[in-house]
Amino acid sequence: MSMDNAQKEVLFGLYDDEEQLLDAVKRAKGDHLEIMDVYTPFPVHGLDPALGLEESRIHIAGFIYGALGTLTAFGFMTWVFTRDWPIIFGGKPYWSVPSFIPITFELTVLFSAIGMTVTFFTVCGLWPGVNNPVLDDRITDDKFCIAFQTNGQSNSEIDRLKSFFMETGASEVNTKVI
Amino acid sequence: MNQFTFESKQKTVLFGFMGLGLVCLLLAYFTDEQPHHVRFWTNFLQNTVFFTGIAFITLFFSAASITAWAGWYTKFKRVMEAMSLFLIPGLALLAVIVAGLWLGWHDLYHWADAEEVAKDPILAGKAGFLNKGWYTLGTFIIVGVWIYFAMRLRSLSLAEDQNGGADFAHHRKMRIVSAAFLPIAGFSSAAIIWQWIMSLDAHWYSTLFAWYTGASWFVSAMAVLILMLIYLKSKGYFQGVYEDHLHDLAKFMFAISIFWTYLWFSQYMLIWYANIGEETVYFKTRMEKYPVLFYGNLVLNFLLPFFILMRNDTKRKYGSLVFVSIFVLLGHWLDMFQMVKPGALETALHAAGAHGDAHGHGSSFAAGFSIPGLIELGTMLGFAAFFVYMVFNSLGKAALEPANDPYLAESAHHHV
Repeated sequence: MSMDNAQKEVLFGLYDDEEQLLDAVKRAKGDHLEIMDVYTPFPVHGLDPALGLEESRIHIAGFIYGALGTLTAFGFMTWVFTRDWPIIFGGKPYWSVPSFIPITFELTVLFSAIGMTVTFFTVCGLWPGVNNPVLDDRITDDKFCIAFQTNGQSNSEIDRLKSFFMETGASEVNTKVI
Repeated sequence: MNQFTFESKQKTVLFGFMGLGLVCLLLAYFTDEQPHHVRFWTNFLQNTVFFTGIAFITLFFSAASITAWAGWYTKFKRVMEAMSLFLIPGLALLAVIVAGLWLGWHDLYHWADAEEVAKDPILAGKAGFLNKGWYTLGTFIIVGVWIYFAMRLRSLSLAEDQNGGADFAHHRKMRIVSAAFLPIAGFSSAAIIWQWIMSLDAHWYSTLFAWYTGASWFVSAMAVLILMLIYLKSKGYFQGVYEDHLHDLAKFMFAISIFWTYLWFSQYMLIWYANIGEETVYFKTRMEKYPVLFYGNLVLNFLLPFFILMRNDTKRKYGSLVFVSIFVLLGHWLDMFQMVKPGALETALHAAGAHGDAHGHGSSFAAGFSIPGLIELGTMLGFAAFFVYMVFNSLGKAALEPANDPYLAESAHHHV
């Protein structure tokens, strides 16, 4: 979002209710208004399809990381206990599959969890020290926000956006440069 | 279509399968070379416990959902109520086994033989719990209590249709009844599973066996519920039940399949690791004489649902749902098969005075014992038809969609 250093002029409207927000998003899509982003304090059902967002593919990455974890754990234990340092535990064979299962499970979970977290942060451009301005503190509490980027837009275009907010029932309309 | 009509064509088909089941039971009874008709009785016990368990778990699932303030299932809760009412015919089937216990019709349970118990210190030590009196009392009291709760929830639900008001008095009452049922269900199901199934291997015990069997019933109940809903939808009923409802049911089937595997592994690994003869004998018998079932169990009940239901869309499409539900249902039926058969067969051979592999059940497969034969499949279809018949019968007695349920609107707009 803030990968480019150019400042963004943002016009945003705040709604009191998620139903109003959903209707406004659908209306904006119908009017071919280009929404920069939508902010809500909690996940709103039906918002992703209304915005035309594709389903996340992070679970595919998660499966691959998990499978790597499985192979790592199982392969490593197999190598250690059959080739590198075979030890007899409690009279069991060297290659004791049941005793490998718990660790294999743990590494599967660990690899997929850490892998997905790192992937998610990388895709979102999040790392320590990143500048991530908030349009209005109340969007983490009880306000639902639609934001438009207005760099280089004419006054009539901005007026059109403002009247869109009025007609769809926004309780406040503000501007901010981020 | 808010009223289910049990068509005569459906009845004919179901009666046909019930007839097939009866023929298979009779065949097993009269053609069996084993002593004491063990093939017949093990088939009877396996199917009775399997389908009664599905009815019990559906009741448990209803009560847990009510207690958790869940609302998503309300649209199809009449199917769950109808399934839980199968406990009544289930008790009638169990009564046959109890009668056989007293009248000496079968030799299913090693501990039921007084002479054996007298000369066997392990069985004598367990005689305080494993005896005919407890088996009888346990079966009738425990299943009787389950039936009471099933009928109570059903009648409250029907009364709510008639005169449910804005104070939701019926639903509040159901919440109390459900909360009372949950701990009773937890303890009583464990005790009765020990008696019905675990005591077939009378010398052996495992403390998580009851959970393991309960998880098996749970997955089966979800599979049955999914299959019923898809069938009823194809007949034009339950148009208000859509992919999102099935998605949640499939999530339960997926999650409990993994839970079942977790329990399977926990039971197996502890016994494998400790390596104490009196415990390992259970798995040794099954791994050596029932290898197809033993390993196939994990393929059907873990690998198949795990890899197929892992994706989002396979939990929402009828094709994949029907496929997985059928195989998982078959898988847990086979699991029950290998829980019941080995212990009972050994007891029967023992009672007949035979020892070891005298009857040739060592390494080779024997239909009906180490693998299910056609007779077993026919018996299963017969019991399944009986189950469906009783469920459809109950389903036709009330409106398909409950009225005045506080969660009805939530269920109608369910979105995953």
